[in-house]
Amino acid sequence: MSYNVNFLFLLDYWDALLEGLMTTLGITGLCLILGLGLGFVVALLRLSSNPVVKAVTTLYVEFFRGTPVLIQLFWIFFCLPLILGFEISNFVSAVIALTLYMGAIVSETFRSSLRAIEKDQMDACVALGIGGFTKIFYVILPQAILRAIPTLLSNSVSLFKESALVSAVGMSDLMYIGQNISSVTFKPVEMLTAVAVIYFLIAFPLTRSVSWVERKLIHKIAL
Amino acid sequence: MQTTTQDTPAFIKVRGLKKSYSETIQVLKGLDLDMYPGDRIVVIGPSGGGKSTLLRCVMGLENIDEGTIEVDGKPYIKGQGRTEKNAIDHTIQKQVGMVFQHYTLFPHLTILQNLTLAPVKSRGIPRSQAEEKARGLLKRLGLADKADAQPSQLSGGQKQRVAIARALMLSPELMLFDEVTSALDPELVNEVESVMMQLADQHMPMMIVTHDMWFAKNIATRVVFCAGGVVVEDGTPEQIFSNPKEQRTRDFLEKILHTENAA
Repeated sequence: MSYNVNFLFLLDYWDALLEGLMTTLGITGLCLILGLGLGFVVALLRLSSNPVVKAVTTLYVEFFRGTPVLIQLFWIFFCLPLILGFEISNFVSAVIALTLYMGAIVSETFRSSLRAIEKDQMDACVALGIGGFTKIFYVILPQAILRAIPTLLSNSVSLFKESALVSAVGMSDLMYIGQNISSVTFKPVEMLTAVAVIYFLIAFPLTRSVSWVERKLIHKIAL
Repeated sequence: MQTTTQDTPAFIKVRGLKKSYSETIQVLKGLDLDMYPGDRIVVIGPSGGGKSTLLRCVMGLENIDEGTIEVDGKPYIKGQGRTEKNAIDHTIQKQVGMVFQHYTLFPHLTILQNLTLAPVKSRGIPRSQAEEKARGLLKRLGLADKADAQPSQLSGGQKQRVAIARALMLSPELMLFDEVTSALDPELVNEVESVMMQLADQHMPMMIVTHDMWFAKNIATRVVFCAGGVVVEDGTPEQIFSNPKEQRTRDFLEKILHTENAA
């Protein structure tokens, strides 16, 4: 059986693809914001001197970094309802799974940037009588966040790509719509290629910007 | 040159200062030192002898094992054992300023913000007032045009002058300088040392750790030779550099001056 490659038919489906892309971007954006917040709090908690807090947060981070996102997603969608006794919608499952995944990854980014702040910055704070709130919010956090930005950009690109997994629980994201169109039109080559290209067109500039932002920041604050 | 009057009560009194970093590494071994009003003390000595640690203890950056530091007769820091936290009077600590070897400017803030952060946020001084003072200080130190620059745009000598200005913003009554020219290229040393000379002319009490013996001779009213965690010898610059009493001081100076002449 011969296969005629023809990309023109895609024009008929552009609105569906656009809708899928919007879902992908929406869920990525939502989980990015929630994950950044979670990761930041977890990073601070892991620096805690309380051994229980430290152990629980470390276990969380290591578990979610060490298991496939697909399994996390399935577990939340299929298994968690059995324990809780009520259904969890595919949207909520997807948001929980990707947020927990992002939180774990991002907390590591924040943790290493917090650690990278030299001890002599702390000495300077003591010598200048800067403590408590001022030290955390005007000296430590801004430096930690600046240092973290390039890695956070990479983390965001990973999240954007991983978000394609939510199609597996029936979220109509870009991946899901693409698969559906390809099975209806029997055009998997064109469809999967087109979807890959769309993902690439968004991820590529972001990936490239990482090194640009890195250079800018290094130049600005001479890390 | 000013002379110290040992009849007046000591401004700073260090007694039996002990500091260790582990069970085995003891850096200060019961150090005593008196600083009188008008003193500018330069601490010299071999590396590992406890010079920088002494300054860090006076700043309250190190937790001391034993000993006391008094300022104007009032208890400032008291050691309560190696694993126990020091009793420290933070009101007195605020009167002490310190400049470090590696500048320690806040890299994410402009020069002006570096100067105004502590006064505005930690001391509650109105921003306009702090900025006025900061601009005045920067002008005096020849950095008027750098107010809005980032630390990364400055040379080492400029950074160190900013660090001095930042400490002066808080009107300290004692300034500590820990090897502030050691990280600088030789041609930049002078601009920092001349700022310190300006402060000396204004009778700022200072405690300085330096390897620059020429500078030590010029700025000090007293030179303290510190080795093995104690003060070995203490005297006027003339006395220490021309006629040291202790063999260890002689050996150290001979080595240092020999190297300096060779260079």
